[in-house]
Amino acid sequence: MSGILAQFDTLGATKKAIERLMADGHSDLDVYSPFPAPELEEAMGIVASPVRRWALIGGITGFSTATALTGLTAVAYPLVTQGKPILSWPAYFIIMFEMTILFTGLFGFLGVLHHTRKPGRLSAQYRTNFSVDRFGVYVPSAAGAEQSGVEALVRDAGAVEVEVGV
Amino acid sequence: MATAEIEVPREGLPSLADANRDISRPISTPYKRYWLLIGICLVLIAAAGIAWAIQIRDGMGRAGINNPVNWGVYIVTFVFWVGIAHSGTLISAVLYLVRSGWRTTINRTAEAMTIFAVMTAGLFPLIHLGRVWYFYYLVPYPSTRLLWPNFRSPLVWDMFAIGTYFTISLVFWYLGLIPDLAVLRDKFTGIRKKLYGAFSLGWTGSVRDWAHYRRLYLYLAGIATPLVLSVHSVVSWDFAMGIVPGWHSTIFAPYFVAGAIFSGIAMVITITIPLRWAFGLDRYITKYHFDNMSKLLLFTSLIVGYAYGMEYFLAWFSADPIEIESFRWRGTGFYAGPFWIMVFCNVVVPMSLWFKRTRHSLKALFVISVFVNIGMWYERFVIIVTSLAHEFDPSAWQVYTPSLTEITIMVGSFAWFFFWFLLFAKTLPVISIAEVKEHLAHEHEHGGHS
Repeated sequence: MSGILAQFDTLGATKKAIERLMADGHSDLDVYSPFPAPELEEAMGIVASPVRRWALIGGITGFSTATALTGLTAVAYPLVTQGKPILSWPAYFIIMFEMTILFTGLFGFLGVLHHTRKPGRLSAQYRTNFSVDRFGVYVPSAAGAEQSGVEALVRDAGAVEVEVGV
Repeated sequence: MATAEIEVPREGLPSLADANRDISRPISTPYKRYWLLIGICLVLIAAAGIAWAIQIRDGMGRAGINNPVNWGVYIVTFVFWVGIAHSGTLISAVLYLVRSGWRTTINRTAEAMTIFAVMTAGLFPLIHLGRVWYFYYLVPYPSTRLLWPNFRSPLVWDMFAIGTYFTISLVFWYLGLIPDLAVLRDKFTGIRKKLYGAFSLGWTGSVRDWAHYRRLYLYLAGIATPLVLSVHSVVSWDFAMGIVPGWHSTIFAPYFVAGAIFSGIAMVITITIPLRWAFGLDRYITKYHFDNMSKLLLFTSLIVGYAYGMEYFLAWFSADPIEIESFRWRGTGFYAGPFWIMVFCNVVVPMSLWFKRTRHSLKALFVISVFVNIGMWYERFVIIVTSLAHEFDPSAWQVYTPSLTEITIMVGSFAWFFFWFLLFAKTLPVISIAEVKEHLAHEHEHGGHS
């Protein structure tokens, strides 16, 4: 393995290192953060997550399932109850509303599991202090002269610990 | 709004490592006191279980309900617990969407409360059903007789609303827990490491993963907001869709939602004050948080008080003698006691929160929140029981008093709720570590040190 793993203790330094590495053409970085940090996503050039499509598809599925469930079951057994029409849409809308929300949430959660490849094993470059107070920047497959360049760059950006050959 | 002296003192600002250590400290071998509390809960749950078993054996005659008051303590307690469940989502979702930073240290507890309260509430329709084994009649499943639930019925809406609410709250809570479970996985060894590791799903805090996580968190907050409003509206329609005087009113949905938030916030205060003391979380849950919660409590108290008044105004304005009689009897008849307890606890007592001194005294806040909890239980009792006991036809008027079976089960429901909460408090972080760190990191970097 020829990757370099640099650890930082501030958000600002991490962001600086990412920006410089990205400018140097290292777009395949793995960055670890102990808390959600939109600044780092921005620095890495991460665009909106595809989870939104999962949520949308879930919502549409939920709404159509509930429409079919309430409408078709009423038609299948057309018994007038409470003096209301067989297809009482205002009443059925409550079921549609609830199921739209239910499926949006569940599909969105499946989307997150899919895109983050969870459940999964911990990656080799993960260090337990990434869940405490350290940020990690992993630069995969840097070789030879490039390796020393990357090392110098992360140290200059304020890395507190650098591991080579991870 | 907060004044300087009740902000987190900057020199005392915990580091990120402190947050890990302080918040996960209570997750350790419990003291005797803890086992004692668990023991009390288990005894009360067992008593309720026996009462329920006797009711199943002998029939619904064991409950005090009669005709016309066929909804009694079980339905009152059901509505009470569904109400308690509301503040969790309010604090997590609504305050997240409006970017209210003060939710950070109380959202986990409030969400846990939501889940346990729904778990408690969900038992009551089953207990009230009598023949509990027929509960599956509510579930839409294909049968050879082509029988489907009546989707026009508020009781079926209720099942869908509360089922969805429970599921979405659980997903929301679990999603928030994943990074914190990873913290615990890295902290512990042995079996605990394995368990926390399994539930953290291999979370590493990769920024790419955070991007997906944050997106879903936002969506869940977005969908949970209309959901939370719908759930108690649907519960209120269990009543408002009937023509019973005292129930058949269009203000019921907002009235119930405001009441739910009111009682939920009160329960959050009732729980967080002892929790903060027992776990030494003073640096995280500060007076600033309690100040904001009390303002919310005061605000919802005003809405609830307004709704009480408006119900009377509408009864008078309708010029319907039956409606007028129903409300006259509510305040002066057999149930005048519960009615005035309700008014005192929900409208009079919270008025002391206008004063900053009260809002900043945790003892006073605790007492007020307990009053509100009691008052809100009585509110549901007043709405449900007084309306049914005094319907249209004087020959059908009859009063109801709860039986010992009902009281035992109601008390047991509190024990059931606190039992789950106690388990939660000792096994999972009661404050969201990741969110506290996000807040602290920005304070450290941008706020500077004084």
